[in-house]
Amino acid sequence: MVRRSGVLLKKVAAGISSRLAEILVCPLTKQPLRMCDKTNSLISDSIGVSYPIVDGIPRLVPSDGIILHSDQDLNSSDPPQTNSS
Amino acid sequence: MSGAVDLCLRSLRRLLWRNGRSYCTDHSSRVKIFDRNLKRKQRDRASWLLRPGDSLVDAVAENLLDRLEDCKKTFPSALCMGGSLEAIRRLLNGRGGIEKLTMMDTSVDMVKLCEQAEQNSPNKNVETSCIVADEEYLPVKESSLDLVISCLGLHWTNDLPGAMIQSKLSLKPDGLFLGAILGGETLRELRIACTVAQMEREGGISPRLSPLAQVRDAGNLLTRAGFTLPGVDVDEYTVRYNSALELIEHLRTMGETNALLQRNTSLKRDTALATAAIYESMFGTEDGTIPATFQVIFMTGWREHPSQQRAKKRGSATVSFKDIHKEFGGGT
Repeated sequence: MVRRSGVLLKKVAAGISSRLAEILVCPLTKQPLRMCDKTNSLISDSIGVSYPIVDGIPRLVPSDGIILHSDQDLNSSDPPQTNSS
Repeated sequence: MSGAVDLCLRSLRRLLWRNGRSYCTDHSSRVKIFDRNLKRKQRDRASWLLRPGDSLVDAVAENLLDRLEDCKKTFPSALCMGGSLEAIRRLLNGRGGIEKLTMMDTSVDMVKLCEQAEQNSPNKNVETSCIVADEEYLPVKESSLDLVISCLGLHWTNDLPGAMIQSKLSLKPDGLFLGAILGGETLRELRIACTVAQMEREGGISPRLSPLAQVRDAGNLLTRAGFTLPGVDVDEYTVRYNSALELIEHLRTMGETNALLQRNTSLKRDTALATAAIYESMFGTEDGTIPATFQVIFMTGWREHPSQQRAKKRGSATVSFKDIHKEFGGGT
């Protein structure tokens, strides 16, 4: 019971494991990705696409990417954040 | 929504080329054979129908993982791409000294299934993480993995050389690529039965089986991707079914049903029944079962590293053939 709620908490707390943060890059440009906590997604700045993270699993298929327009958040200049999991 | 993204992908490619550098392998020259979106949905369905312990998939996965025991090297970080993900994870049993395993598939449901399986029976000593990604657009940093495994997944890619090149780039020097794809002899009985039935009933044929690699092409694929010490071998598995319908059901549970772009989306009832009848009459055995051939091509390749053996330079020989002949074959 306690374990299940622990798992739920891990998924709600945004972020990806440090292991994934080490190896993941943008599938189209192979450039590093930036974690955005507000939208819980990984952002590829070079082409302005954001890839969602759903249930703790990043979705890096190009057709799942959402094009970011200039008025949406390209701020939040935090370095890729990782969850110690 | 996907139409808009396709448009953006095209303009992205133009943008990337304008910069003078290409970040991903050149996709503009390839022909699209497979419908990748349909393949995602078929793999979603396969994850719902999955039966752990499918003998064919397990046999192939076991054969592939066995090769890890032939290497003295350990592979701390590994990526497993598509195909029979679940079987690989279950049958790993600590081979290859893998410490960090990343599971990757285009289908969300399949990845969730693996995550669930990991939580239910966690692999000790292995840190497992999951991502949803496409083999043709590999989101992995260069030189970051020791091992890339793909068991029965790559034969659905439109650009197989490109996918293998990206896998090679993601490997560290002296990293290993293990792949298993279905070969040209796979389901030849079904192909023959389908063709004959369609010729009879519809007067023409539409592609019902995907084009599959031949064994002679596998070696070329490995060298073209830039792998050193390439190794190819073939295994044929014959699976017996009680009826042609069971064969189709099995293909559905493996996610191996037709995803060709040129496929005929309708199948007439007459044609289907004729196919089953022809299959049984042409290939049926005495005990009433029908056989189906699955030819699996296993490919292994390494990323280049100075420690690997290579041919010596010209002119560096110390012994001549004449001396060898004198030593061994002088009398005859």
